Amino acid sequence: MGKNILIVDDEPDMCWVVSQIIQSQGLNVVTAYTGEDACFKLSKGDFSVVFLDAKLPDMDGLDVARRIHAIVKERPLVVLVSGYHYRDDPIVRNAQEEGLICCFLAKPFSNEELIGILISLSC
Amino acid sequence: MSENPIKSSFQIQYEMLLNAIPSSVLMVDRKLQILSVNENFLIKSQRSKDTTVGRHLADVFPLVILQSTCIEESIRNVFNSSIAVKGQKMTYRAPGVPLRIYYYSILPIQSDQIILIMEDVTEQFRLSEEVRRVERHLASIVESASDIVLSTDIDGRVLTWNSAAEKLSGLKTQDVYGRYFFDFCDANQKQMVEQIFQRMKTSNAAHTTEFNLLTPSNSGTILISWVFSPMKDDYSKTVGTVVVGRDLAERLKLELQLRQSQKLTALGVMAGGIAHEIRNPLAICSSAAQFLQEDRIPDEFQKECAKKIQTNIQKASAIIENLLRFARSSLDTEMIEVDLISVLKETIDLVTNQAKVQKIKIHLSLQKSSVVVSGVPGLLQQVFMNIFLNAINAMPTGGVLSITVNSVEDRVIVRIIDTGVGIPAGELDKIFDPFHTSSPVGQGTGLGLSICYSIIRQHLGSIQAESRLGQGAAIIVTLPLL
Ligand SMILES: Nc1ncnc2c1ncn2[C@@H]1O[C@H](COP(=O)(O)OP(=O)(O)OP(=O)(O)O)[C@@H](O)[C@H]1O
Ligand SMILES: [Mg+2]
Repeated sequence: MGKNILIVDDEPDMCWVVSQIIQSQGLNVVTAYTGEDACFKLSKGDFSVVFLDAKLPDMDGLDVARRIHAIVKERPLVVLVSGYHYRDDPIVRNAQEEGLICCFLAKPFSNEELIGILISLSC
Repeated sequence: MSENPIKSSFQIQYEMLLNAIPSSVLMVDRKLQILSVNENFLIKSQRSKDTTVGRHLADVFPLVILQSTCIEESIRNVFNSSIAVKGQKMTYRAPGVPLRIYYYSILPIQSDQIILIMEDVTEQFRLSEEVRRVERHLASIVESASDIVLSTDIDGRVLTWNSAAEKLSGLKTQDVYGRYFFDFCDANQKQMVEQIFQRMKTSNAAHTTEFNLLTPSNSGTILISWVFSPMKDDYSKTVGTVVVGRDLAERLKLELQLRQSQKLTALGVMAGGIAHEIRNPLAICSSAAQFLQEDRIPDEFQKECAKKIQTNIQKASAIIENLLRFARSSLDTEMIEVDLISVLKETIDLVTNQAKVQKIKIHLSLQKSSVVVSGVPGLLQQVFMNIFLNAINAMPTGGVLSITVNSVEDRVIVRIIDTGVGIPAGELDKIFDPFHTSSPVGQGTGLGLSICYSIIRQHLGSIQAESRLGQGAAIIVTLPLL
């Protein structure tokens, strides 16, 4: 796809590991530390995938997803990265059914899991 | 002739005297005939002088009395022996007639006369019997009470000590009798107790307090809740003190259990925030460790990974440390010197995750970097934790939680102010009641603030709330400075 990938997490070390993994696949990475910043960067519409933390200091990850769903025309694929939800969490399932997110990555994850998601999204 | 007037004036005085005394007096001769009687006898037996004097004893006294008391027999014996019978008790029971009790004496006065003096003591007897019964009843109440009941003289020397006091303290009445009660109190509370006795001398009101009673048998103490009341005589003069004490161990045990279970509820509320905050460092460590397993990684990168693993393990561990401290802290109950600021900071650390999850900013504003009070750190932390969690609950869509600490004279005032939904005016005075909650069933127990109240009271402080509906709330905790 050639477009950039956005990583949204308020924890710099978290952004660092996720970028390392994505960059190892030869992809371009941009980071945002707040929900506001993420919405701003996404509104430009030049990202193919977003790795979105579930809890940000200013808003929930799912709120960010909802906002971009409403305002961004060329919508990126949203991967919810969360240590807050449990596997089979109905909140996550509902978000998936609503089409707000396409994948769920539970923290902590294996690097292959993340790469697997990138491949499945055909990045 | 000259003797006559003297004799008759003697006679008159003698009769006056006889009629004045409240006993019945009869003069009887050897044939048991009545020679004279005084007025009291006539009134009591409802007879007239004419139908009495000159008659035989058997005609005057009812048969039952004669039979049951053998009085005729006694009189004959006195005539024979000339030895007086004094102060004999005579109980007169007859069917349908109330019991009467007399004391009687038979005095030989001349060789052919005796005086029979009878006193009706039924009423006195009945009263003293009643008094004894009431006394026994009161004594058995005091003895069977499970509370300590003791009395002291005006200076606080023990006079009575009931069996509950013996049981709880292990000290027998003879161990404490006549000794100052405050000698059996914890050394550092002695002076305070001595002052209560001083106050009792002039006070009309009871004084309620809590302090420890020594239990020398196991060289320990037990915490007792006491009520001191001045004991007054009939002229309202204070003559001593009555002290009633209740063992608080059972109540304390329940309170500790309650506090502990409420704390676990609070932990449940924080679970989400904690999960997020621990899984973040875990995820970072996990990925960094996987980088390290790859071949041919640059030295620089290797070092960076190792460093990140280490710092994030420390982060996760610090969260667990805080949690453990909070969960276990109710086990220690010893009052020590505590820096209130570090208690506040630690508690803020614990709720930061939860606050972040709810978009709440926390401000801590301090006058000084340390404020020392006497307290149980774990309990104080529980107080602030409950207040913070309430404030966070009141701000479901985010807001600001400000905490200010000010020292004023001998007190420190901690204000916890939120920008949440506020408390309706009518509920302000109810929020410290147990089980008062606005949370849906299953989410809040309504115990949080009532536990805060009891803990702060135990620390000799106070807790208040100020709020207006829709304009946030302020909880104000005041504690004495050390
Ligand atoms: N900062 C606050 N803002 C608004 N309401 C408050 C605040 N603090 C307390 N309250 C009210 O007081 C009630 C009692 O609080 P309390 O902490 O005793 O119980 P709770 O929070 O409902 O339950 P829990 O036992 O889980 O703490 C709350 O339900 C709430 O209605
Ligand atoms: Mg509460």
